[in-house]
Order: sequence, then structure tokens, then C-alpha cells
Amino acid sequence: MGFIQLRLDSVTMDDNLACPRCKTTKYRNPSLKLLVNTCGHALCDNCYLFWRVSGLWDPTPSLRLPSPTLEDPAVEKEVDIRRRVLRDYSKQEADFPSLREYNDYLEQVETIIFNLANNIDIIETNKLIEQYKKENKEQITKSRTRKPTQILLLEAIIEEENRRSELRHMESLHSAKEEKIRKQKNHEALIDDLMFLESDAKAIVESHKATQAHQQVEASEIKPLPSQLGISSLSSSAPQPAYQQATTFTSGIGFGGSASFLPLPKGLGEVPLFVYKAFLLEIGGPPPPSLEQLKYPSSGKEGHLQHIRPATEAEIAGGYHHAIACRRALQDAFMDIAMQPKLLKSRSIQNESESESTTKEEVEMDTS
Amino acid sequence: MFATSTQKNHWIFSDEETLIRIREATNKAYVDQFRPPEVEDVGDFFLSATEERTLLHFYEYQLKEFCVKFQPTMNKAVIGTAFSYFKRFFLYNSVMDYHPKEILVTCVYLACKIEEFNVTIAQFVANVKGDREKAQEIILNNELLLMSAVKFHLTVHNPYRPVEGFLIDLKTRHPVLEAENLRPFIDEFLDKVLMTDVPLIYAPSQIALASVLEAARKCREHLDVYVTSILITDEEMLQSVVDAIRTIRLMVRVKNYDPPSRDVIKVLEKKLEKCRNQENNSDSTIYKTRMLEELMEEDERTQRDYETTLAEQRSHFAKLIMESRQ
Repeated sequence: MGFIQLRLDSVTMDDNLACPRCKTTKYRNPSLKLLVNTCGHALCDNCYLFWRVSGLWDPTPSLRLPSPTLEDPAVEKEVDIRRRVLRDYSKQEADFPSLREYNDYLEQVETIIFNLANNIDIIETNKLIEQYKKENKEQITKSRTRKPTQILLLEAIIEEENRRSELRHMESLHSAKEEKIRKQKNHEALIDDLMFLESDAKAIVESHKATQAHQQVEASEIKPLPSQLGISSLSSSAPQPAYQQATTFTSGIGFGGSASFLPLPKGLGEVPLFVYKAFLLEIGGPPPPSLEQLKYPSSGKEGHLQHIRPATEAEIAGGYHHAIACRRALQDAFMDIAMQPKLLKSRSIQNESESESTTKEEVEMDTS
Repeated sequence: MFATSTQKNHWIFSDEETLIRIREATNKAYVDQFRPPEVEDVGDFFLSATEERTLLHFYEYQLKEFCVKFQPTMNKAVIGTAFSYFKRFFLYNSVMDYHPKEILVTCVYLACKIEEFNVTIAQFVANVKGDREKAQEIILNNELLLMSAVKFHLTVHNPYRPVEGFLIDLKTRHPVLEAENLRPFIDEFLDKVLMTDVPLIYAPSQIALASVLEAARKCREHLDVYVTSILITDEEMLQSVVDAIRTIRLMVRVKNYDPPSRDVIKVLEKKLEKCRNQENNSDSTIYKTRMLEELMEEDERTQRDYETTLAEQRSHFAKLIMESRQ
């Protein structure tokens, strides 16, 4: 007893369909195939393979839910039988003198299928089929080779389509040729005019251009677009006529020229130019000595640096000098020593963080 | 540098009156927000701004003690920074909203990080008495709160480096004085400063100079010559420096350094237990459920999603079966 593949056409849209064993859903694995066994348990094809190997009988006996399927095995069976029966009962409507007889025939076929599918009078029915086969042997063999009417219809449509595209191709070739000839003629006429007419060469060229443009407009107006000839859904596959070739990029910019291309309008993104302002540190106290002054005091003898731990060789190699630390200490000592808290901008009672920008980050400047 | 710092821009106030006004406004805001309709006498139920100050003063002592006893020994900058955070936090937050004993440890923990004094949280809570696991939870929960309360202005300029600068300068330009002798007195003065509002009003360099001058006075040395003729030559500048130094010394001198008596604190603590914001009380059930909710939210949401999907799937299958049977 094997698994039958579920025909998912009617339920493929449903992403929630899941394999009860591995819980994979249609959403997670779009190529999921659900199989169902005769006791109505579903499995995805991967689990089915696993189940085959493991040799267990019923993969999910604990699943109390009835089969989560649209088509139960009975339907599958019926479909199978129908396919077999219809192979023999293949008469068309045209084979009957009247519609009434054709309908009787169809009813008979349905009865046979129903009986076979539901195990009613199987022997009788099989006999009936055998008899029919014998009686209509000739007709059956003929119909097996005969293509069904629907296929014939399709073929006719395809043929018609091919014919049309052929026609269109010819047409476009023809019009391209015509266009070429016309251009040549125009060119010749222009040269003739330039040679023999007395008026200004520039004016002649201008007038020629105008007539050419006029002709082109006329030509495109007169000739119906080939795509309008055919059924619109069929025309998309037809080759494009030469004079309809694309003249623009997909961005809408014409080939070759940049006439339609506009640069960004001026003044759109204009911002005031950056002006460098040197950072001026307000010490708010006596100026601390610079690094140079610390390293080489003007008095000649050792200055502030003798009172600070000298940098080790390794520290100097790393870019540190004890003058840096010394200067930082002195700068911190002198900075804002004359600050008057009352003169700083007064703090409101409200927590000013709400309004004031708190993004202003503290800038820790190196003392150098 | 202090001159460009957030400390100067946001955390220096003009005088003590301003600070008092801000604290009163904070106190009032809390009372207005949490006043229960049945309470008539606000003063009886809530802490007043002065009572809050007394409690904070008590907890500043606790903070000092905690820092001094801390193992491994922390440097002074950590203590100074922790004090700054503590003062800044309770300037705009009421004691009744957040209990100082919880903010206190969080301040120290954050200060350790900012001053690059590396301790792990486990090492840190080893210094806390009582339930360490709970302390750890409180500290880590409050850390972000504290940072946002100080508006993420985490760099604090302490007077300790300026003091070193002055000592170097004294040794160089005023060698008559044995500068190293001043150190114990300077430290004593700066410890007192921590208990006052001085760091919220004056620049670290001014505090440092005041401490140096005070120490010199105690050593019966005279530094006036150094200040007036060596350090500062500008007449106008000198005047503002002298004013600042005088006020700092006054503020430090008039401050009462005796910790508030236990009895007073006990009464206040009792009052606080009633009027504090239960949402921020780590012992209250409200707080616990809130924390738990925040923690569980994620898990719960996933669980809920899963259940709804399952239910949907089931009903869908049931529908399919019904259809196929018909």
C-alpha cells in the first residue's frame, strides 16, 4: 500500500499546508509535495523517503486528525479508473447523429466509471466494456491515432499565428526598404537644389529638413502599426519593424545626443561655503607655559619638568614626553581660575536638557 | 579640558540659591505627580526638600565610607566622579522617586568605568553588604537610568589634577615653600568639598587653588605673594579669583560635617517608605512584576505567535475536511 501524491493544484496557494511529521510548510519550502497513504495520513516526499527506508508501517499513528487533504484515496481511484475507461470510450459528438444520443452515451460512460469506482457489479460492468471494445474496435483504434478536437484547434491557432508573424516580417522589410529609398531620394534632391537654386544654402538645408520631418510624420501616420494588425496578445512575440526601433534608452535619454538630458538645476544644493576658524581656547586664567617653554626654559636651568617623573625610554619611544603631563596639569590648574559662576548663562529651574541640545559632546582636547 | 566641557556648560550653577530652587522644584514636581487624593497635609506625607537634603547628606557619608573601604583601593578621581554623579542625579530627581542607597552604588560603579578603574561587577558587589545578587541586579538595571539622568555627560573634571599643577608650579616658581608638606591638608580640604555643593558652582581649578591656600594657612605659610605677583598679574582677574576663593572657603567652613543623627534618619526613612515611588522600589511587587514583564515579554510574544498559528492551522484543516466530505 503506497502513497499517492496529493494533487496540490487547488491548495498550492495555501502556505499553511504542513507535513505533520517534519512540520515543513508550503511557505518555507515551496517545492513541498504532500503524499497521502490509504489510511489518510499525509507526509511530505522527504519524510516519505525516510519512512520507506525506516520500514515503519504507519508514519503517524498518533495523529488523530483525519487526513488534511482535499482528495481522499477514493477520488484518486476514481480518477485512475476514469482515465482508463475514457481511453476506450473515446467517441466525439460528431460521431452521433443527434445530441440526445451523444448524451445517452456520456451517461453510460459515467455509470460505468461510477460502478467500477464503487465496486458495484464489477464483473457485469467489465463485460460491458469488453463488449463495447469488440463492437467498436475499429473506431477505438482510429480514435487513438486521431488527435482530439481541442488539439486540432490549438494547432490551427498556432499556424495562423505563424502566418501572421511571417506577414509582419515581410511588411517591416518592405517598409525599411522604402524608407531607405526615400532617404536617398531626399538626399539627391537636396544636392540638386544646392547645386542649381540661387537662394541661400542654409535656407535650402532648413527647408529640406522640414519637408523630411513632415514626410516621416506622414509615413508613420499612414501605415498602421503591424502590432495593431494582429491580436494584441500574439503580437508581442512578433519581430519589431525597422522604423520602430528604439530611439531612447530605458531612462528616457535619446541615443547619441544629450538634448533631453538636463543637469541638476543650479542653486538646489547650495550651502554656505565652509570657512575655517582656528579654535581659540579661552583659558580664563594666566596662560600656561607651552610645551616648548617647558622643555627649554628661558632661564636656562631646569624648570617645571624637574618636579615631575621623567618619561622612561619606552614611553618616549611611544610618543610620550613628561612635558605633556606637566603641561596638562598646569593647564588644568590655570584654566577658568577666574571663572565667575554668576556671569555664566543662568540656569533655569526646569531641567534644561529637554530643550537644550544634549548632543553637544564634550571635546577632550589633547594638551599638546 | 574644563573650558570646553559639558561640566562647565551644563553642571555649573551660579550660586547656592539656584541649587535650592532647582531642588525645591524637583520636590514639588514629585509631590504634584504622586499626591494621592485622600492626602490633605502634603508636608506630613511627603518629604520636604530640606528633609531630602538631610537624607542625601546622610547618604553622601555612606558613599564616602563605601569608597574608602572599597577593595581594591580606588583612586580619588573615582570618588570625586561618583560624588559628582550623585549630586547631579538628585538635583533633577527626587529622593522619593529613586532611593539614594541604590543610586549610590550605581554612581560608584559608573565612576569606576569612566575613570578607568577596572573592576568587574562581581568584584564590585563583593564590597556591598547584604544580598549581592540583588545588588548586582540593581546596579546593572540602574546604570542606564543614571547615565541618562546625568544627560550622558560622563566626563567629570575633578580638582585633583589642578592640585598637582599648582604643586609643580609652586615648587618651580615659589621654592621657598615646601610644597609637599601641604598635601595632607589639601586632601582634608578636598574631602570636605565633596560634602558640599561647591563642585556644582566652582571650577575644579578654583577649588584646587582654594585647597592649596587653605592648606598653606594651616601650615602657617603665606602664599599671597605667589598668588598676587607670580600666578596672576592681571588686576581684574585677580579680583574674581580672590572672590571665588573666599566663597569656596566660606562654604566649606560653614558646612556642618557631622553626619545627621541616626534617630532623625530613621524617622525620615520611615516616611520615605510610605511616599516613595513604588514603581522604582526594588522590594515592591510592582517593581518586580514590571521587571519580570520586561524580561518575559520576548518569550511570551513568541509563544503567543506560535499558538495562534497552530490554532489557525487546525481550523484550516478542519475546514478542508468539511469541504472534502460534502
